[in-house]
Amino acid sequence: MLPKLVDLTYDLFRSFDRAGTVEDLNACLLRAVARFGVESTFAGVIPLPGIGRTAQAAHVLIDRTPPGWSERYFRAGHLDRDPTIRRLTTDATPFLWSEIEPLYREDPAARRVMDEAGDFRLRQGFTVPLVTLDGRVAGFSFGAERLDLSPELRGMLHLIASYVFGRSLVLSHVPAAEGREPVQLTPREREALQWAAAGKSEWEIGALMSISEHGAEKHLRSVHRKLGAGSRTQAVAEALRRGLII
Amino acid sequence: MIHIVTAENTSRYADALEQAWRLRHRVFVEEKGWSDLARPDGREIDGFDDAHALHMLAIEAGTVVGYQRMLPTTRPYLLTEVLSELCEVDPPRSPHVWEWTRYAVERGHRERGRILSPVGSALLTGIVEWGLESGVDAIVIEMNPLWLLRLVQLHFRVTPLGLPRPIAGEETVAVSAAFDERTLTRLRATRGDSASVLSTQPGRPLRLAS
Repeated sequence: MLPKLVDLTYDLFRSFDRAGTVEDLNACLLRAVARFGVESTFAGVIPLPGIGRTAQAAHVLIDRTPPGWSERYFRAGHLDRDPTIRRLTTDATPFLWSEIEPLYREDPAARRVMDEAGDFRLRQGFTVPLVTLDGRVAGFSFGAERLDLSPELRGMLHLIASYVFGRSLVLSHVPAAEGREPVQLTPREREALQWAAAGKSEWEIGALMSISEHGAEKHLRSVHRKLGAGSRTQAVAEALRRGLII
Repeated sequence: MIHIVTAENTSRYADALEQAWRLRHRVFVEEKGWSDLARPDGREIDGFDDAHALHMLAIEAGTVVGYQRMLPTTRPYLLTEVLSELCEVDPPRSPHVWEWTRYAVERGHRERGRILSPVGSALLTGIVEWGLESGVDAIVIEMNPLWLLRLVQLHFRVTPLGLPRPIAGEETVAVSAAFDERTLTRLRATRGDSASVLSTQPGRPLRLAS
């Protein structure tokens, strides 16, 4: 006899508790949902409209999509046209992507996002809208070439998405006392990073802060060092996570 | 301040309880449309409001602005009697586990959007403070699944008791949520206030669980 889905959900919650890193947690999740046909997961807080693409990408908390997809997604500016994003900011009930087809039937740009996702084995999907403790809207998507979900499975994925998102937030907010040094940015460094998050180049940041391009670069280099970031996206992501910029 | 009202001190809270029944009626009958709870006198009271129930009242300047009811799981409770379809496992029955019901915040004291308001977080903190000093370490909740993420972020250890189902048109899931000192620390950090939310009224019953 098949195990009851509620028992399976219980077991999964407890294995999620044991995962010590966001990486382990999401590997564990993917292994668990593979048996239902899910191939990838993608989740994050929905950025406010109008922010730069680097900052958009930094809002991603979980990315287990096929290689190349999320780079393409943000570079092409798909977030602003993605009909799943539009749907989850207006309605808190989970949905299959096929159910929102009427939303983008007449919208070629939105349709292109969905078609291109199909090229990355994200032809079908299920998205769970979430709201964080501080009131930010977030989304958790399960993707696959083909996804066939019973109402019970939808309920289970709804619970699992909420749990994994919550644990991922908790794990990525490790307080300083538990291993990470607190980081202090100077006001100029914070300002430069805030502009970088808005997608400005070093030259533009220099102009906005009435300093040279070289001066802007110096501030950002110092930020990277303090945050242990290897790239600008990583620095922005880390600073957002630590609440150093908004 | 959160005031705890039980059979022992109910006489001192006659007026506040009266306000609480009316708040419940406004929120659950008039706003949420749970019409089977409607009463012509505008006071929402049911069979579970007996001598075993523990009421928590958020009172500001003499006015009840928030309310919740705790029921022992060692006796019949909402999940076992009224919402049993939500429970697919053996329902919890323990002196250390109580059921959280009738959570209500007065309209003017809610936050815009869907964030936990100051009154709401004081009520939740009230449960954890009360629980930690009374030997209660988990609560049973029937809730919109949107609450799950919040509970996990607040360091509650959540156990599903069933899968989500629509109840009166709203997706509802039953869970048990365990808490400890870390939960209280997290709640206090979120509130930006480390003071106790419980009023230190004389005669407040302690150690409800044996």
